[in-house]
Amino acid sequence: MPLGIIFKRALRDIRQNLVTHVMTTIVVALTCLVFIFFSVFSINLQRVADRFGKELAIVVYVKKDLAQEKIPTLYQKIVSMDGIENVKFVSSEEAFKRLEGYFKDEKEILEGVDPLFLPPSFEIQINKAVYNPGRVRSIASALSKWPEVQKVQYGKEWVDRLESFSEAVRAAVIASAVLLLVMAAFVVSNTIKLTVYARQDEIEIMRLVGATNGFIQGPFLLASFFQGVSGSLAALVVGLFCYEYVLNIIGQTGLIRSLHLQFLPPFYMVIIVLVSGIFCMAGTAMALRRFLKL
Amino acid sequence: MLSGDQVVIELRGVRKRYTRDIVALEEANLSIPKGEFVFLTGPSGAGKSTLLRMLYKAEEPTKGSIIIDGVDLSSLSKSQIPQLRRKVGVIFQDFKLLYNKTVFENVALSLEVIGLKKSQLATRVRQVVEGVGLADKLHRKVVQLSGGEQQRVAIARAVVNRPPIILADEPTGNLDRKRTTEVVALMEELNARGATIIFATHDDALFENTHRRVLQLRDGKIEEF
Ligand SMILES: Nc1ncnc2c1ncn2[C@@H]1O[C@H](COP(=O)(O)OP(=O)(O)OP(=O)(O)O)[C@@H](O)[C@H]1O
Ligand SMILES: [Mg+2]
Repeated sequence: MPLGIIFKRALRDIRQNLVTHVMTTIVVALTCLVFIFFSVFSINLQRVADRFGKELAIVVYVKKDLAQEKIPTLYQKIVSMDGIENVKFVSSEEAFKRLEGYFKDEKEILEGVDPLFLPPSFEIQINKAVYNPGRVRSIASALSKWPEVQKVQYGKEWVDRLESFSEAVRAAVIASAVLLLVMAAFVVSNTIKLTVYARQDEIEIMRLVGATNGFIQGPFLLASFFQGVSGSLAALVVGLFCYEYVLNIIGQTGLIRSLHLQFLPPFYMVIIVLVSGIFCMAGTAMALRRFLKL
Repeated sequence: MLSGDQVVIELRGVRKRYTRDIVALEEANLSIPKGEFVFLTGPSGAGKSTLLRMLYKAEEPTKGSIIIDGVDLSSLSKSQIPQLRRKVGVIFQDFKLLYNKTVFENVALSLEVIGLKKSQLATRVRQVVEGVGLADKLHRKVVQLSGGEQQRVAIARAVVNRPPIILADEPTGNLDRKRTTEVVALMEELNARGATIIFATHDDALFENTHRRVLQLRDGKIEEF
């Protein structure tokens, strides 16, 4: 098959049917855009969940009357537990200093307060690799049964809620991706069918002058690959622009900035472009197959 | 006169019915040797176009067999049809041109499908378009041409790839006397170069004084005189 001729014919087809081509490309772009929005949302939610998960600490308050010498033993006991990443001892004095830090200019409030009124505590960081909410819960409840422990605190509700939200969003993304794929298949194949029908005469004439099916199909396939690629690229550009725009508006606060939100990873973008191109080409091949009765 | 006795077009007991009542051909027998130029005539609706359409497998006979260049068309697979059509240049009665494309693009189509290089293609197209007197309209869209000019584009496209067989279905239907004479002369020239030609027409004047064979379609049969 003379690739040069097919390439030239595809370009000429696009030029001569520019409106249809642009319309199809816009449909592809819109479909990709919806998918990109969902993906960005899901990916960042995952990042946020991961981040909170990483920072989630269990705080173990030790009974005030516990002898100072027992602290290192208790420390060793906690460190030797499964799934513990890091343990930090916070003495009563240190806790008080932190409290002072919070109040800064209004230190007077704490005047006269016993610097040792706060219980000493251990701040435990859970190993990220083994992190899951169930794990945090089980470690916390195990710790609370120890005689030296007065109270165990952890972001239980936070973890549970974030986790269930994250799961719901992931399910929504998967469901919408499937729905979108079906919709896109329908729209793209219909647009292509329209293109093919609009050029029924031309196809018929090409066959009459001895064109092979490959020669007839080649430019269509190539053109729809262009459409898929350019549509998804356009969607990525628009998506990135919208993302930056929204981030500019809401992203001024330290909290949002600390989340380190990001657009799609480059690998993900490449996959979107390729899949879009191949998908459009496959849709065209199917529409042509039916039309040309191959 | 005949450059050989090898038969290139043969019909054996061909019948063509579109439906039960629409009978185009009843029992057609025909044998055309390589390099012959025959006229095919008959009243409107006699089945001239139908007969020609079966020769490039755009239509299947209901009964009987058609042999082109030694190949029975019923044995051709779909993927072999393009090869047949490259051997058979057809001037369609309804032109079958791409009206929104230029004269050049229309004529070039026959050469593009066989993968001719661009440089060769342009020269060939220009030559042939010049030959049908449309050199000055090479880059005009076909829709902007007169009926007669369009017919000449159809002729140019049919012959540009120098097919060994040319089927001309009413190629002078829209032309004045002068252009008609030119087209007939062009066909004669192509025939002199070896092409086998079937020229379908109901313009008696074209074959009044000819020494060529004239096939007449009547009641679904082919009569010769
Ligand atoms: N696609 C078709 N479906 C049904 N009947 C058809 C079809 N094409 C032609 N016919 C019928 O077959 C018969 C022969 O038609 P055909 O076009 O071969 O005649 P023709 O000799 O070429 O006529 P003309 O000189 O007017 O071009 C006619 O009766 C016509 O109505
Ligand atoms: Mg006819």
